[in-house]
Amino acid sequence: MTESSKLKEHVVCPFCGCLCDDIGIGVEGNKITENKNGCAISQAKFLNHHDDRLEMSGSLKELVKEAAEIIANSKRLLVYGLSSTENDAHREAYKIAEEAGGVVDNTSSVCHGPTILGSQESGEPIAALAETRHRADLIIYWGSNPQFAHPRHMSRYTRADGLYIKDGKKDRQIWVVDIRKTISATVADKFIKIAPGSDLEVISAIRAIARGKILDVDEVGGLPVEEIIKLVEEMKSAKYGVLFFGLGLTQSKGRHRNIDAAIRLIQDMNHYTKWGMLPMRGHYNVAGANKTSTWQTGYPYAVDYARGYPRYQPGEYTAVDMLVRGEADAVLNIAADPAAHFPKEAVQHMAKIPVINIDPKRNMTSLIAKVNIQTAIAGIECDGAATRMDGLPLYLKKVVDPPEGILPDRDVLRMIYDEVRRLKK
Amino acid sequence: MSKQTILTNGRVYDPMNGIDGEIKDICISDGKIVDKVDASAKKIDLKGRLVMAGGVDMHSHIVGSKVGCGRAVCPEDHRKDPVPKTKNTRGGVGYTMPNSYVIGYRYSAMGYTTVIEPALPALKALGSWEEMEDLHNLDSGLLPMFCNSMITFHYVKEKDIRGLAAYLAWVNQKVGGLGCKVVNPGGTYAWAHGVDLRDPEGEIPGWDISPKDVMHGLCEAVELLGLPHVMHYHPNNLGRVGNIATTIQQLDSIRDIKGYRGRKSICHLTHMSFETLGSVEENSSEWKDIQSGGLEFAKYFNKNKHFTADMGQITFGPATTMTGDGPFEFYLYQLTGGKWVNIAVDVELPGGAGIVPYTYSPKAPGNSVQWAIPLEFALSVDDVWRCIMSTDNPNAGPFTKYPLVISWLMSKKQRDIWMEDMHKFANERSALSTIDREWSLYEIAITTRAAPAKILGIEKIKGHLGVGADADVTVYDIDTTKVDLAKDPERIIKTFSQSYLTFLRGQQVSKKGVVKSTGNRKVWTIHPELNEDLWSRINKELEVMMNDWYSHSFYNYPVPDRYRAHLEQKVPVDSTSVPA
Repeated sequence: MTESSKLKEHVVCPFCGCLCDDIGIGVEGNKITENKNGCAISQAKFLNHHDDRLEMSGSLKELVKEAAEIIANSKRLLVYGLSSTENDAHREAYKIAEEAGGVVDNTSSVCHGPTILGSQESGEPIAALAETRHRADLIIYWGSNPQFAHPRHMSRYTRADGLYIKDGKKDRQIWVVDIRKTISATVADKFIKIAPGSDLEVISAIRAIARGKILDVDEVGGLPVEEIIKLVEEMKSAKYGVLFFGLGLTQSKGRHRNIDAAIRLIQDMNHYTKWGMLPMRGHYNVAGANKTSTWQTGYPYAVDYARGYPRYQPGEYTAVDMLVRGEADAVLNIAADPAAHFPKEAVQHMAKIPVINIDPKRNMTSLIAKVNIQTAIAGIECDGAATRMDGLPLYLKKVVDPPEGILPDRDVLRMIYDEVRRLKK
Repeated sequence: MSKQTILTNGRVYDPMNGIDGEIKDICISDGKIVDKVDASAKKIDLKGRLVMAGGVDMHSHIVGSKVGCGRAVCPEDHRKDPVPKTKNTRGGVGYTMPNSYVIGYRYSAMGYTTVIEPALPALKALGSWEEMEDLHNLDSGLLPMFCNSMITFHYVKEKDIRGLAAYLAWVNQKVGGLGCKVVNPGGTYAWAHGVDLRDPEGEIPGWDISPKDVMHGLCEAVELLGLPHVMHYHPNNLGRVGNIATTIQQLDSIRDIKGYRGRKSICHLTHMSFETLGSVEENSSEWKDIQSGGLEFAKYFNKNKHFTADMGQITFGPATTMTGDGPFEFYLYQLTGGKWVNIAVDVELPGGAGIVPYTYSPKAPGNSVQWAIPLEFALSVDDVWRCIMSTDNPNAGPFTKYPLVISWLMSKKQRDIWMEDMHKFANERSALSTIDREWSLYEIAITTRAAPAKILGIEKIKGHLGVGADADVTVYDIDTTKVDLAKDPERIIKTFSQSYLTFLRGQQVSKKGVVKSTGNRKVWTIHPELNEDLWSRINKELEVMMNDWYSHSFYNYPVPDRYRAHLEQKVPVDSTSVPA
C-alpha cells in the first residue's frame, strides 16, 4: 500500500556495486519525488525510472509464446546478462539454459571475468567495505575511477572516518594508479602514472622489490625504480592496506595475468602486514550473478548445458566468443545491453539471429531484438536480493508499483520456462 | 485422505528408543511416524533389510559465502564429476564442493535427511537463505558465528552477559539461526591487526579481554537463554602440533558454568582431529614431532562430561579447507604455497574466513597421524552418545566419504589394511594399531543419527523412529544377520554409500541411488523470546552499534520473511526470565 507523500528510508540503490543502502525515497501516490543521499546517478535512476521504457509489439502472453518458440527451436541458445537484475531472476535464467541445453553467461565475462580467472590461479584475499573504513591507512585504486563510476565509494568507505582511522582525510593515504590523471586522481594523495599496457610489469616489479630482489633497470612502465622502492616501503609499513581495482587492470594488456600478479602481490604483502583487495564491481548485481551461478551451476560464469550438466570454459562459453564464432543461433538477453558493448563482429552475428530482449528500458539491443519484453525495475518497482561488491547480500525494496501489466524479470522468465517445457513435451 | 505408508519386516536400529536390530514395521502418515496406518496404506516389504532413522549431519559446510568462493576459485574440483539432469532432478557437479542441488541429492542417496551448516556470518544470512531454496531434499539449519564480533567483545568487556545473551537472541531471531558457533574466539579478529593470537589467555588487541573471556561469556549466554543446542566450539590454536594442551585448557575454563536446567553438557567441540595434536617433545610445535593426542583426549573426555565432540576425520584425497579461522588458513597456505582465499567480513569477522584446497596423503607423516587421532579417540570413548562421526565436510574430506569412515570405525581389518600403506608415523606415533574395538551397527546409528539430533536439541522429532518423529527413514540394502560386516569392510562401504530407500518427511526421495527432488523440507531456526525490557534494550543498543560500525543499516540486517517463511521451522525458546 502506498501512502501519499511518504519518505521510504534505508532503501538500497540498484545502480553500482556499492549498493548504498542509506537512500531515502520520497513517494507521492505512485510517483517518486525525491532521492535523499543518492549520488547523481542514483538520482537519475530513481527519478527517471518511468522514462525510455521498452516498447512491446504485442501482449505479454503473445511475446512469451514467441520467445518460448525461439528457445524451443534453437540448437545453441545463449542466455546472457543478469547483472542488473535481482537474484531470483537468475535462478529462472539458469533453469531455461538447462532446459534448452544452452549456454548461460553473465556480464562478468566482459568486466571482471579476468579477476575470476586470476583467483582461480591464486585464490584472493578479499577485503570488506566497513573494515576498509575502520582500518585501512593505505588505499590504492588501480585502473579504476571511483569518482566517476562509483561516486560515493570514496566518501562512504575510503575518505570516511573509522574506528581506528579517526580522521579519514588525514590518517589515511589514497593512491591512484592509472595511465591518465582521472578525476579520482585529482582528489587522491598520490597519483602514480604508468605507461599504457605496463600494469603487469609494474606489479611484477613491485613484487620483486618487495621480495628483496634488485632490478637491473632504471625504470619500469615509466616509473623510476627508486620510486617503486619507495612505494614498496610504504606498502609494507602500512598497518592495513586495500587495493581496489577496475577494468583498467582487468581489461588492459595482460588481463587475467595482471590480476593473478596483483593477487600474488597482495598475498605476499600479508607476510609483512595486513592487505586485502576488492574488484570495483560495476553493475549493481554482477557480484550476485557470479554467486547465484556458482551455487546453482557450480561455476561463476561461462556455463554450457549442452550435455545436460554444466561445463565451464571461459573463452569458449563466454558470450562474445560464442557470437564472434557464429555459434549461438538464438540469444535470450536479460538486464544487459550486449549490442551497445560487444565488439562489432559479435553484434553483427546477433543481428542475424533471433534475440529475445528482457529489460525495463529501451536499449541498443532492443533495436535488433525480435522479441522485446518490458519488465519491472528491481529495487524500484519490485523487490529482490543483490550482492554488494564485497559479497554482502542486501534486500532491494519495492518503492513504487511498476507500470500497468509489467512484471518482474523472474515472473516473465518463469512464464517463458513453463511455455518452453510445454512446447517440448 | 492422508498419505500413508507402512514399511514391514525391517531390521530396525533406533537407539533413541532402545531398539537394537529388531524386526519391526514402521508406519508413516502425513510425514510423521505413527502407531498404525489404515489397511489402504501403501505397503513395502523390506524383507529384513536394515532400517535406521534418516542421517543427521551436525557439521557440514554446505552453504554460504565461503563455500561459494571455494567453488568459484576451484573449477578443477568439479570438472571431473559431472551430474546430468534427470526427469526429476537438476544437473550439476560434484566433488568436494558440489552445487547446491547435487549436495542435496548425494545426501539423499546416502540416506541423510538433516544437515546443518555450522558457520554462518550472520550479516550475510540473506545469501545463505537464498541458497537454502536450492538445497533440495534436506532439512537444514544455520549456526551464526559470534566469536570475533565487536558487539560480542563489547558485552564481554562490560561483563554484561545478559546483554550478550540478548544479542545472541536478537541475531538468531532476525537472521534465522540455530544457535551459537564460536570459531577461534578473538584470534581471527586479532589477525585484522596483524596479530597471530593463539594463546587463550592473550589479549585481543584494543579490547582488554582474552579469547578465554569470549568463550566463557558466549557459553554462559547460551546457557542463560537455554538454547537447545549448546555452544558449538572451534578452539584457538587449531592445526598446530601440541595443541591438545591448549584445547584442554580451553575446555577446562568453562567447567564452572552451570548448564541450563542442570544439563551436563554445555559445549560441543567440533572436528577434534585438528585440535588434539600431541607432540613427542615437550612444547615442540614442529611437524616432525607430531604424535596422536586421540587417546589422551579420550581419557579427558571420559572423565569430563561437560562437552561432546565430533571427529573431523581425514579421509585422504582431495579436500577443501574452509573456516572462519582465517589465520589458520594463512598458516596452511604457507605450508602448501597454493591457492589462498581470505574473506574479510564487516565487524563480525574482521580478520576473515579462509579457504585453502588441500590433498591429504597417507604417505605424509603429519596427515597419517591426523588420520589416526579421531579414530583412536572414537574407539576409546566410553559414551558414543557424546561422540559424532564427521569429516567437517569438505575440510577433512567430502561427506561422500562417510561410508569409508564408518568402515574404519566398524572394522579392525579395514584399519589394518589402510595402515599397511600409510606412513609409519600412523603406527609409531599413535596407539591405533593396538585398539581392537569395533563399533556395532547400534553405535553407528547413535553417532550418525540419534546423538547428533540430541546434541542439536531437535531429538523430539529427528534422529529416531518413535511415534511423533518426522518420517525420515533410511533403508539399507543388507540383511545384517547374514553378513559379518567387520570382516567385510567393502560391504560396509557399499551398504552406506547408497541407501535402498530414503524417506524425508514421509516422502520417498531416493531409491537405490535414483533421486527424486523435493521441496518438502524445512530449515530449522530457534526463536528465543526475551522479555519486553531486554528486547527493547537490545534493539536500542544494537541500532547504535550497528549504525556506527557496519557499512549497512541496522534496518537492513534482518533476513526478510519472504526468503524464510516458507522454509522455516521455528523452535520457540522461552528466555523471558533473563532479566534486562
